[in-house]
Amino acid sequence: MTQTSPRASAGKGIALRLDGLSKAYGSVRAINDLSFAVDEGRFFVLFGPSSVGKTTTLRTIAGLVQADSGTLEIGGRDMTHAPIAGRGISMVFQSFALYPHLTVYDNLAYPLREEKAARTEIDKRVKETAEILKLTHRLKAKPATLSGGEQQRVALGRSLIRRPKILLLDEPLTNLDAKLRHETRAELKRLHRQFGMTVIYATPDELEALSMGETIAVMRDGGIVQIGTPDELYEQPIHTYVASKIGSPHMNLFTASVRADTRSFDTPLGTLVPATAPKTADAGEAALIGIRPSDIRLAAKGEAGVASKVHLVEPLGDITIVSVEAGGEMLRMVLPEAIAASIRTGDSASIAIDNRKIHVFRAVSGQAMT
Amino acid sequence: MAESILGKFGFGRASGVDKAGWGRTLAVAVVAFIYFLPVLFIIFTAFKPQGDALLVPPTLSPTSLFGLIPDHFVFKPTLENFGSVFSRSMTPDGAPEATGFDRYFFNSIFIASASVLLALVIGTLAAFGFSRYPLKGNDTYLFIILTTRMLPAIVVIIPVILMFRVVGLSGSYLGIIMLYTAFNLAFTIWMMKSFFDELSPDVEDAARIDGSSGMRVFFKICLPQVIAGLAATFVFGLILTWNEFLFALLLSGPDTRTVPVAMNQAVSSGGRGTDWTLLAAIETLFLVPVFLVTFFLQNHLLRGVTFGTVKR
Repeated sequence: MTQTSPRASAGKGIALRLDGLSKAYGSVRAINDLSFAVDEGRFFVLFGPSSVGKTTTLRTIAGLVQADSGTLEIGGRDMTHAPIAGRGISMVFQSFALYPHLTVYDNLAYPLREEKAARTEIDKRVKETAEILKLTHRLKAKPATLSGGEQQRVALGRSLIRRPKILLLDEPLTNLDAKLRHETRAELKRLHRQFGMTVIYATPDELEALSMGETIAVMRDGGIVQIGTPDELYEQPIHTYVASKIGSPHMNLFTASVRADTRSFDTPLGTLVPATAPKTADAGEAALIGIRPSDIRLAAKGEAGVASKVHLVEPLGDITIVSVEAGGEMLRMVLPEAIAASIRTGDSASIAIDNRKIHVFRAVSGQAMT
Repeated sequence: MAESILGKFGFGRASGVDKAGWGRTLAVAVVAFIYFLPVLFIIFTAFKPQGDALLVPPTLSPTSLFGLIPDHFVFKPTLENFGSVFSRSMTPDGAPEATGFDRYFFNSIFIASASVLLALVIGTLAAFGFSRYPLKGNDTYLFIILTTRMLPAIVVIIPVILMFRVVGLSGSYLGIIMLYTAFNLAFTIWMMKSFFDELSPDVEDAARIDGSSGMRVFFKICLPQVIAGLAATFVFGLILTWNEFLFALLLSGPDTRTVPVAMNQAVSSGGRGTDWTLLAAIETLFLVPVFLVTFFLQNHLLRGVTFGTVKR
């Protein structure tokens, strides 16, 4: 698979390439024929629920895990079996993994000392890094006395201090509280801009993936379902798995069948005609129709709409999620607060669907019909 | 994780801790005093004049505490008994002779510290192996290691005596140190394995990514984190070995005799009945080294013993 990004960085090399990488633990395939490439300087997100192989992928890139098969290239060189030290990679663990017996200063200095850097150079870089991460006043503290946010920053600092070409981040925000998570997201993007290294970021959190990732790889069962920019994944999911993972609230999916004209669909909501008809649909084929909650609106007066009954109204401030029942299907729609204000549970509502925003998938495979 | 790091190093803010008032403190002090009484009685006896040991009622205090304690409970402290430990006349009216106890004390210190340290070095390495590089059937090996401690020493000693006789190790330093090392190993491996198991493997992986080789990860990252465990294991091993009597009795020779064995012989020989003040003096001296070691390691010890008991 290749990068499909509008910002395809001209003149920049490939920082990392995985080709057919597999790793099994006993009978469990942690990653399975995994292939992708990451451009230099890119913020690349591995996204998927827990135990889809994100951590194993990162650990394989770092060299902590040896792949059973496949190749791993870093900076254009085959590093599949290279020792950890020469890979130019650093990693932040979900648990932060600070050295508990060492002070913040010594934690930050550790990678440089292992490189046998000069004492003055170490001192300079530690102070510089502490400055950037606002840790200067905590240099003498032991990790156990730090707050969660400070521990996180030490972990980041220890990874950045060696100026790695590639920085691996394994769910680094999972152990932080909500407010800190938000701040740290911004902080991570700032550090990425400032240092310009390639970042591989694993997360099960959709919001983190979409807000930080320049490129997102959606993972499932140790493989990649789709790689793309946040927009691409949102606008053109190639599989129901991606469609249901990206976008909040999640995409409405319901069964349908391809009509004889192979351009329109029989659905519980009546006949739907996507603006761009799939070319590979067979008459009578079972399909899944996907519609984003934001692509459903209330029909205008006089406009032909689908009759529905309001089931649940969830005000969320400036938007309201309204669940309606139409043709036996439960659909979620997102409405501006001003429009939704007058809607009550039990009301009848006529809804309209934007036919340019209808996604069609094969019912059997879940693949998008194109 | 933030909390588990806190917990691991004892820095966690104590929650639900309610400092005791004077009433509870006093009650505990009384119980502690009763607990300590036998040891105190031995220590006092060591300072009593020879005739005082068997007095009824016993003399209880070296000082009258400004007249608070009636005179017949007060004894006149003396250091005479301590002198007798090392040199005394073995026959009535005989000239004082060296008792050899200086040698026995040296033996006890040498044998106990050598075997406990040896067990600590070998056991810690083995424990790390069992923890990080488990064998097929890892638990079986750990179980087998412990089997020697499942039987009473008196049973285990029989094959050991035979083995030692065959290879000619009876009575030698090497033999008794090897035996104690083997016995301490079981305990050390089990203790240290549980300490290593508690460490976060992520921390070691982080060190590997930061450029450390396997050996450096062990020495610079793992070992410093289990210092409390090393201290606790050392002290417990030392106490067990220091006080061990049966193996020492049967396997040490005249030159390698340890204090517990010598103590037994000192009080039961000579045909003058048991010299209680002399015995108390030996015991008091015998207490000092372990007491000092435990005292200086106690901070580590307390942390080590409670290590990992609370999942945070």
